[in-house]
Amino acid sequence: MACTVLSVPGLAVGASALSVTVFGADGKPLEGAVVIAEPAAGSPHPSLGSKSIAVMDQRNLMFVPDVLVVQTGTAVDFPNSDQVRHQVYSFSPAKPFQLALYGGRAHAPVVFDHAGLVTLGCNIHDSMIGYIWVTDSPWFGRTGTNGTLQLRDIASGDYTVRIWHTRLSETGPQLETHVHVEDGAPLAASFHLRHALKAELMHHGADKKWADY
Amino acid sequence: MGRLLIALAASGALLLARTAPAATDFDWSVDLRAVASDGEQSRLNGGLGKLRFDSDHDGLRLGEVRAGLRTDLSDTMRLVAEAVAYGDHDVNAVDLTEFYVDWRPIPHSIWRSRVKLGAFYPEISLENRMRGWGSPYTLTYSAINTWVGEELRTIGGEYSLDWLGRSNGHNFDVSLNAAAFGWNDPAGTVIASSGWGLTDRQSTLFGRFNNGGRPNTQRTLFYDDMDKRAGYHFGITANYRGLLELHALHYDNRADLADASTVIQDTTWQTYFDSLGARYTPTAALTLIGQWLHGRTLAGLGPPVNAWTFDSEFLLASWQHGVMRYSARYDRFASQQTASNFLPYVENKYFGDRGHAWTLAGARHFGEHWSAIAEGLYVQSWVAQRTISSEYGGLDIPANASERQWQLAVRYQR
Repeated sequence: MACTVLSVPGLAVGASALSVTVFGADGKPLEGAVVIAEPAAGSPHPSLGSKSIAVMDQRNLMFVPDVLVVQTGTAVDFPNSDQVRHQVYSFSPAKPFQLALYGGRAHAPVVFDHAGLVTLGCNIHDSMIGYIWVTDSPWFGRTGTNGTLQLRDIASGDYTVRIWHTRLSETGPQLETHVHVEDGAPLAASFHLRHALKAELMHHGADKKWADY
Repeated sequence: MGRLLIALAASGALLLARTAPAATDFDWSVDLRAVASDGEQSRLNGGLGKLRFDSDHDGLRLGEVRAGLRTDLSDTMRLVAEAVAYGDHDVNAVDLTEFYVDWRPIPHSIWRSRVKLGAFYPEISLENRMRGWGSPYTLTYSAINTWVGEELRTIGGEYSLDWLGRSNGHNFDVSLNAAAFGWNDPAGTVIASSGWGLTDRQSTLFGRFNNGGRPNTQRTLFYDDMDKRAGYHFGITANYRGLLELHALHYDNRADLADASTVIQDTTWQTYFDSLGARYTPTAALTLIGQWLHGRTLAGLGPPVNAWTFDSEFLLASWQHGVMRYSARYDRFASQQTASNFLPYVENKYFGDRGHAWTLAGARHFGEHWSAIAEGLYVQSWVAQRTISSEYGGLDIPANASERQWQLAVRYQR
């Protein structure tokens, strides 16, 4: 059993909370894992309300953060903080788009209006890969250094909790679990990966001395 | 010194010519060297020494002044020009090393096409990855890439088909490329007459090369098309998550030997080779590069047709630690003439060389614009044609030589 769900009575009073912890195959807490709690089919997907603009920066030939999780309808700004110009694109079905060659802030934010995983690339620097997870749910985030993410103010109902990581090397039922949330009854769920993560992506320097192509 | 001033003036003129539209990217650098060398007379000075700087040409030297221009002709089309001045005895004080247009449409699927037209390097080196085809690891290129820089340039068109797996959830990208080119008929002249070298002196598009001096003292025009027959190269590159990059290339200039002339610089050399390379980056700090090349070159009408085989490989390890980078490389090289129709003129000696070299370098950055690189190079070589006596126009020196070259480069780049 790779995922466990525990009822934690008395952990909080009032709004329901869900604590999700992800462990790597080595048993150590995994930082940076994406966690999304999606209400079961038929349940409402409340909006986050505030429509602040999310930012996917480009620094040192990397997308920063490497993965961004946003709710459907969120606008994402793509500033370029490098000395060299970038040409951001995606051909992912959830959001095909392109930003013409640019430096600084040349383009209006892009609205991500369909749920799904969007993989970002740069047409000038093929080594640059970034991800935007677009979800209809307002309950999402990434685990901290302790491998844990606290999701708060979750409405009562049934949820599917999914995890993902940029360096995940496995698929399967161990990456999701189902939980039932009741008012004032906080839950804790944990995930245990079966396989070691893929190696980190390697990048070279981002100053003008390096050849683009 | 006059040449140095000309080079610096040209660099300044290029700088002043800089316009500032957002679609133009101009950069330049100056590299000055303090050199100590006990090398034989350099192949660049008419000798058969392996190094760029010999014992008569050390002291304070210009490494290079280079300028690069990248102008967007459209959102997906870019003009690239690379100019360089070495301050040596080439016919042009400033000349071009590359000049091409690159078309790179934004991918709408996992497949992307690319086209290059102009004069550019084939995708062969995993070491020369800086602008201007420089190396971030050592001042002196490997023997293989010294030769590529000396004798090869694709003057024509190249088509690449990329499979962008990493932009679609996979772990690797793969690219196939094929090129047709002209104006590379003299390729092979230098490797045949002088063997392998270890320099960072790229030939220029309109320049000449003093090819090994004796017995062939002519200066070679590299990029010429005598036979009006296109050559080709094709290759494959693969990149696994930025950790491992593989290159393979087959090159054949398809020179027509029937077009041979009695004057060496007007002679076609049919040259073909295969090259394999790998770059492994297991951590952000460590880079390992290996490359192997094996080829043949043929010249003359015969009988017999003059023929050489040549092969080399190198292993390079580089470690980045903060502002420091430490690199070490081992090169092995050999060339051998296997058929000759001019034996009576060279004391019945077949040309050829063999040897190995160690290169150690340490580089330090001082802020954004300044850097310093110290390099020591030891090369031990045997060159058959060194022993040709002076009666036959040869150098009449021992075939074996051990050469050492120490360099301290100070670089400024913007």
